[in-house]
Amino acid sequence: MDDFFFSLLLAGISVGAVYALIALGLNLTFWTTKTMNFGQGSLMMLCAMLTVFLSSQGLAVALAVLGSLVVVAALGMFIEHWTVRPALKSSGGSMGWVVSTLGFGIFLQGLAAKYFGSQAVAFPDVVFTAQDFVTVFGQYVSLQYLVVLAVAVALILALELFVRKTVWGQAVHAVSLDPELALVQGIPVRRLVLLSFMLSSVLAGVAGVLIAQIGGTVDPAFGFDLVLLGFVAAVLGGMGSSLGALAGGLLVGILSKLVGGYVSTAAEHGIAFALLMLALALRPQGLFGKPEVSKA
Amino acid sequence: MNALRSRLSALVADWRLQVLLVVALLAGAPLLSPGTVQIASFVLIAAIFAQSINLLTGLAGQISLGHAGFFGIGAYCTGVLVKTHGLDMTLGVPLAVLLAGLTGWLLSFPANRVRDVYLAMMTLGFGMVFFEVVREWNGVTGGTMGLPGVPSAALRTLTILGMKVDGLRYFQLVLLVTAGVMLLVRNLTQSRIGRAFYAIHVSEIAAGSIGIPAGATKQLAYALSGAVAGLAGALYAHLVGYLGPESFALPRSIEVLVIAIVGGLGSIAGQVLSATLFTFLPERLQVFAEWQFIAYGLILTFSLMVLPKGIGGLLFLPPRFIRPGALARAATLRADVAALRPIAGGTALEAEGITMRFGGLVAVDNVSLRLEPGRITALVGPNGSGKSTFVNVVTGIYKPSAGQVRFAGRDITGLADHQVAAAGVVRTFQDPRLVPHFTVRENLLLGAHGQLRHNGIAAVLALPGATADEAAKLALVEAVLALADLTEVADRPIDTLPYGTRRMAEVGRALLARPQVILLDEPAAGLSEAEMERLSQLIRDMKAMGLAILLIDHHMDFLAELVDDVVVLDSGRMIYRGDIAGMRGDPQVIAAYLGDEAAHA
Repeated sequence: MDDFFFSLLLAGISVGAVYALIALGLNLTFWTTKTMNFGQGSLMMLCAMLTVFLSSQGLAVALAVLGSLVVVAALGMFIEHWTVRPALKSSGGSMGWVVSTLGFGIFLQGLAAKYFGSQAVAFPDVVFTAQDFVTVFGQYVSLQYLVVLAVAVALILALELFVRKTVWGQAVHAVSLDPELALVQGIPVRRLVLLSFMLSSVLAGVAGVLIAQIGGTVDPAFGFDLVLLGFVAAVLGGMGSSLGALAGGLLVGILSKLVGGYVSTAAEHGIAFALLMLALALRPQGLFGKPEVSKA
Repeated sequence: MNALRSRLSALVADWRLQVLLVVALLAGAPLLSPGTVQIASFVLIAAIFAQSINLLTGLAGQISLGHAGFFGIGAYCTGVLVKTHGLDMTLGVPLAVLLAGLTGWLLSFPANRVRDVYLAMMTLGFGMVFFEVVREWNGVTGGTMGLPGVPSAALRTLTILGMKVDGLRYFQLVLLVTAGVMLLVRNLTQSRIGRAFYAIHVSEIAAGSIGIPAGATKQLAYALSGAVAGLAGALYAHLVGYLGPESFALPRSIEVLVIAIVGGLGSIAGQVLSATLFTFLPERLQVFAEWQFIAYGLILTFSLMVLPKGIGGLLFLPPRFIRPGALARAATLRADVAALRPIAGGTALEAEGITMRFGGLVAVDNVSLRLEPGRITALVGPNGSGKSTFVNVVTGIYKPSAGQVRFAGRDITGLADHQVAAAGVVRTFQDPRLVPHFTVRENLLLGAHGQLRHNGIAAVLALPGATADEAAKLALVEAVLALADLTEVADRPIDTLPYGTRRMAEVGRALLARPQVILLDEPAAGLSEAEMERLSQLIRDMKAMGLAILLIDHHMDFLAELVDDVVVLDSGRMIYRGDIAGMRGDPQVIAAYLGDEAAHA
């Protein structure tokens, strides 16, 4: 195999796994409320930026990541309580949450630019450095890429197990089918919704740290566009399906890296967008999804 | 407060004042400094741009997060055509508008099959991709270096049809265009298009039940909105003379959302005030410019909570959806409800072997029935016996697992709800589906949507033919209002009225669609004695007109005086068909309602 192709493929698989994580985060809140945070990208950015900031204050990198994740989780609760819930409650236009979640993302981005500056800053090495590699079949394989891939896949599998095997997972499933029925069955829907937003935000935070690790730098605009890539991954795999999200994420990651490598790096979003158009034209329910049945 | 609102609304709606304002600005502009005139031009362009969001979000309820893309398409299209290819601006701008509109139409192609949020996400992607295309396509757009030297009013390089146009003249031109756009948007709001937009915004199911296709309507909204945004962009291009990709990135999409939301979705005057505010603020207040992004973020996050209707909602009354001119004309007309008689004396609807399964549950099991013109068929059965599901299958909300629905000599099984309605099979819902902010009259006129014979262009230009057509239908609405005893509440928003009134309005709306077959799902539920009397009379009138009627209800006394045939469902199966007297003695029916033992006792 050609070296260049192989390195692109590996990079594609790694970032694709991270896109899948983002997609999973979107799926989680989609299950519980049929909404998703359009400002998810800003949480990714904030988590990475905070990690940089905390570690620059002398905190161990692992602790810095943990601290940032806690902050992001708290923000997830805030987003549910202050942007999604009021919008869902208000009658009339039902799409207010799109605007309010995006608005909050913009606010975070503006805040980060104000206090951390709008320049890109170097992201610290969490486990391995960019120079660490192993050789597989005579190919150099970056250890960072492998770690990113391993973390992403482990999280996806854990979440899938959680949803399938635990009572809480079943409850999430029930809420996604019929929130009112779930409520009268005694499922704590409120708490579940809040939890889904926290978890979704944590997934975004992890994704942000992983992407920053691969890319090496972060800036306030970082991540904003990644919501789109995560969404494309989710739609390709079938909105709401975890394994679909993984497949969709890998597809988007590999294709965009290949096109980026052989054609132009500027085409990455274009490819994702084209994939989205194609999916919606040919198979709106995605690879693993079932068509939605609307209830009259 | 409401008195003040209504006075302010009357003031801004007064055409004399509107003309006076435009004339004053045209005449007064030369007295201002060139810098102020230029900012004023920016205000107007922002106001037009905000109207594009108003159309899309305020009326049709769709959200775009990439409107800078449409704005940019308009700007680059005319910029390239006029600068590089030497076209006149009078040709470049309309082409730009067309291209932006076409883009909006194409972008929203999946409107029919996916949730609205998918479209919102697609617009976000569209904005990003547009920005990248502009940045990379060096040969045409100049890439990151931008496109300098677009003939511009500010640089005094613009000529229109051979005439030199400076900043002042350009302002006057843009002012006239802006006034025109406002006029057209107002006309559109008060036309069949505006009502259809608003109907799919609040209830796609209600819209579909009277023949308004949700997908195509949303696509039209995206196309029109794209075109208006393109116009704003094109005017912008010939104002500034330099186009760089950064001017068409996310911040501009955010800015126009902020302007439109703060201005108040649905309010044209509010948008103008807001555009003025947000164009002058960063210009005059350095501190604001510095905090702009943070401020915009906060505004978008909390405005829907703090000031959901924006400045417009604060100062003015909500918009109305019928042209006052059409109303005045209608007042001089008399119409007879008999005009709603089915064409060619009515047609029968045949449902054969209808089966509907949801997973393992068989909701409707092999049910066949025939609805004849001028006959009332009651569909009764215990709760959960499949009555509503059957109606949902016939009217195209569900596609049956098996069986066929035939109407007027053709197979209508599996057609979309709006197609079934357009064919002449109209229904009401168990819980009334009306457009909450519409008045009773507006709701009823919405029913006549498919009967209006003028096209969209005539509607937006408010041509005499369009007004006459609307007036004729309004006269019919008046007749139905009288028949349903709704005349007194005709101008009240429907969500302020009691349940029984809303039910009657829904039946009236269905009748105005001029159906051949009407399916009424528990129309008498929650009605008072007097209202029930009214409803009986209305249903009898419809029968006399030759409609085929299906009536679901539990109220046996109500049914007994009305119906010709009765069909009884139990657990999805048909257990009885015949007259009502026979039903009362039928052991299977008694068993279904009272349990087996009662039947044997």
